[in-house]
Amino acid sequence: MARMLKFNIFRYNPQDPTSVPHMQSFTIDETESMTLFIVLNRLREEQDPSLQFDFCCRAGICGACGMVVNGRPGLACHTKTKDLPEEVTLMPLPVFKLVGDLSVDTGTWFRGMYQRVKSWCETKKVFDPSAPEERMDNALAEKIYELDRCIECGCCVAACGTALMREDFLGATALNRVARFMLDPRDERTEQEYFDIVGTDEGIFGCMGLLACEDVCPKYLPLQDVLGRLRQRMAFAAVNNILPSFLRKEVKL
Amino acid sequence: MSIPSIATHKPVVSCKCAAYLDWLQMLSGACLILFMWAHLCLVSSVIIGPGVMNAIAEFFEVTKMVHFGGPVIFMVFLLHFVLAARKIPFASKQQGVMLANAKRMHHTDTWLWVVQAVTAMIILIMGAAHMWVVLSDLPITAQKSAARIQNGLWMLFYLVLLPMVELHVGIGFYRIMIKWGIIDSKGRFGFKKKENMLTAIMIGIGVITLLRFWFLAIK
Repeated sequence: MARMLKFNIFRYNPQDPTSVPHMQSFTIDETESMTLFIVLNRLREEQDPSLQFDFCCRAGICGACGMVVNGRPGLACHTKTKDLPEEVTLMPLPVFKLVGDLSVDTGTWFRGMYQRVKSWCETKKVFDPSAPEERMDNALAEKIYELDRCIECGCCVAACGTALMREDFLGATALNRVARFMLDPRDERTEQEYFDIVGTDEGIFGCMGLLACEDVCPKYLPLQDVLGRLRQRMAFAAVNNILPSFLRKEVKL
Repeated sequence: MSIPSIATHKPVVSCKCAAYLDWLQMLSGACLILFMWAHLCLVSSVIIGPGVMNAIAEFFEVTKMVHFGGPVIFMVFLLHFVLAARKIPFASKQQGVMLANAKRMHHTDTWLWVVQAVTAMIILIMGAAHMWVVLSDLPITAQKSAARIQNGLWMLFYLVLLPMVELHVGIGFYRIMIKWGIIDSKGRFGFKKKENMLTAIMIGIGVITLLRFWFLAIK
């Protein structure tokens, strides 16, 4: 027999001066293979057309439908109701600017992050559109792709205790982004230039190793391993010049 | 894109302080972990017999290691607190955010960090008191330790301090290993399980040691 699900959803419209933050309850019958994406669309179509939430691809690719589901950040389209209890609480992702209800503006945060970490291949080479693309070792390309799979949903940032406490902390997504460019041979940045970006208390040395990022990432990115190696790499980069040669270490990501 | 019209920007001065401090925090923590394990092994030698503990204590006394090592450990203890406190929220707003996040997420590792921060504060006070009492009444002997514990209040004191230290040491060891990439994601949960077992064993040995002191006949 189909369950009746109760959803407690955060409601607030910052654009409306009369709006007050509150929780609103909705009840809906569960259907086969139901996801939160389906629930929210049905609620909006059948019960409340003013309900605000983001979605685009409904396939865990765009990262737009990130929200806090029963306390944990996750993607609405990836979350099946059969994995949830009968009562579910939905909140918008913290850290990001609230657009309304469950919709947040991750774009502004990520745009700022790109600029802070220079999220592009830094090169002095002039791009020649007619030249054949430089070849890259397949294993390396796959390694870069593994980190490039980040869909920038913001779940790792919303789950991170450090990012919640400290606005200036880069967060796992940014550190992963820098690691991705460190791997890329087309990026000509020196170790010192990378160090200046992430070798700080706002960067990798601010990470307290809570690993919520690793545990909530809907794309299962290897964040624990990336952050661990990045810390080692930056830590050794800082001391290699003062260490005796047998203790020096060049850490590969 | 905005282009500044006046070039007033000072060149960015590269600072490696954060890396040095992180190294120091990790190394001082690792030293204290090793010390605490060694400390428990040495003190728990009283389970075998007070003579064994006295012999070990005498060795450290004769070699002057306790006179030199004690204050050094105390300094490392304070240094580690200062370094680690950089990450602990002292403003109540930040504490509230962290606690609310841990509660909301039901996330074990976030809770472990909260436990680590709380135990750190308790250890700072109780650990300092313990070190003061022991180091101001050298040499260490099983009889003196037993007399102190049989006082009753000190037994209660150590029954609180023991789990605080072992939890802090256990979680600290786990966190160093994962934060510094020594244990990878595949080994994380297995390692955490072993670390929890080790912590439970350490607390068990500590309780048995305290009971041994409690029942030791004082000459």
